[in-house]
Amino acid sequence: MAATSRKALREPRASAANPNAPNGSTPAGALLAAALALPGMLPGNAGAQAAPDQGVIQLQYLNYRDWQPGQARMKVETPSLYALYPVSDTLVVEGGLTYDAVTGASPYYYNTLSGASIGDYRTAGDVKVTKYFGAYAVSVSGVISSEQDYLSRGGAIAVQLFSDDRNRTWTFQAGGSADLINPVNDVVVNAKRDTLEFMIGVTQNLSPTQIIQSNVTYSTGHGYYSDPYKSLDQRPNHRNVTAWLTRYNQYFTAYDGTMKLGYRLLFDSFGSVSNMLDAAWVQGLPMGWSIAPALRYYTQSAAKFYVNPPFPSGYPGEEGLYTADTRLAAFGAWTGGVTIAKVFERGWSMSLRADFYRQQPNWRVGGSGSPGIESFSARWLEVGVAKTF
Amino acid sequence: MRSSLLLACALALGGCATMSPPQPWERGDLAKPSMQFDADKLEARTQQHIYASKEVTTGGYGVGGGGCGCN
Repeated sequence: MAATSRKALREPRASAANPNAPNGSTPAGALLAAALALPGMLPGNAGAQAAPDQGVIQLQYLNYRDWQPGQARMKVETPSLYALYPVSDTLVVEGGLTYDAVTGASPYYYNTLSGASIGDYRTAGDVKVTKYFGAYAVSVSGVISSEQDYLSRGGAIAVQLFSDDRNRTWTFQAGGSADLINPVNDVVVNAKRDTLEFMIGVTQNLSPTQIIQSNVTYSTGHGYYSDPYKSLDQRPNHRNVTAWLTRYNQYFTAYDGTMKLGYRLLFDSFGSVSNMLDAAWVQGLPMGWSIAPALRYYTQSAAKFYVNPPFPSGYPGEEGLYTADTRLAAFGAWTGGVTIAKVFERGWSMSLRADFYRQQPNWRVGGSGSPGIESFSARWLEVGVAKTF
Repeated sequence: MRSSLLLACALALGGCATMSPPQPWERGDLAKPSMQFDADKLEARTQQHIYASKEVTTGGYGVGGGGCGCN
């Protein structure tokens, strides 16, 4: 395409958030614009209203550890790759690859093989194509995730509608996944779990320094939800989840700092209701550095068929459904984290993030936590490097 | 639960009530990387995957991500 038309198309692109920002003004900005472009199976930003004009390649390495009092548990090492390539001014292709290597022992009462040794891996890949049509954009995506005992294949379609003044974007998404479960103990063979998901979202520029986004998602699934590695775990064969997520960002010019707030309310047909609040402050520093401390609080009620330990002595035997998986218990959790990032010359940038997570029954808000379960802690480190081109 | 829902609605409506959408030449700060939602896709995906494996459910950030044996 001619240079003139490229420039003409860049202007509305910039207007998604800032029509006056120089194209590719900073590597981070360019990376961001690219990353923002596509909603769907990946976390999306409905604010991006035109195709990015720069490609991005990003590598990340995750190091994860968790433990309970006096006992180290699981370790996960995860290298990930993400790339985005603008095929033309209106067509973008992006995709990612992830490999999880899991070792260690699962937490008491937590999930599969409680207290047993675990060694597993997961390989996942996804691809997405987005076409921009001026006042709207359409994305189609696919994903596949494979583990020793679990195969998931999914897809989604997303439509974004941009307002005339480019201050509002409506997002509509529909997707689904077909999962196949083949546990190594052959409790079930080729067990299925199928899920349909829908989302409607809106992103609105409230002022020159404020932006808000609100999404409602609904998923409905049926199939095998029990834990095949537990002899006493029987869950419903259908599950519906409704989640409402609202996020708000405000920039404070005097401090070169950004406040980021989020809230999510979630209803699960398993009987659990959860609330999540998170907050972060991104502080700009000289020479391309930035630092961002963050806090997250989460609280959930127990699933209606969750049974407190000791199990099975507390087994109520109601409706034939029961589980001792403490992820379905009532608890609260805090996460504290910090991200340090640096933007370099020639499109390079890197970041380091550290998080510490802890969940305890007595941290639940809105009711008492489930008795008899141990606290659970985790920490994870992420290092990433990105290059725009 | 009902009170938290009402509070969230009030906050959202309060924000809209004071809304003064920027003109095109006023969007410089909105373009800053820190003002974006999920600017770092890999990081956002990693965070959500971790929480999905430690808590009862996750959702709200998009659809079509597929399932995994972790939850």
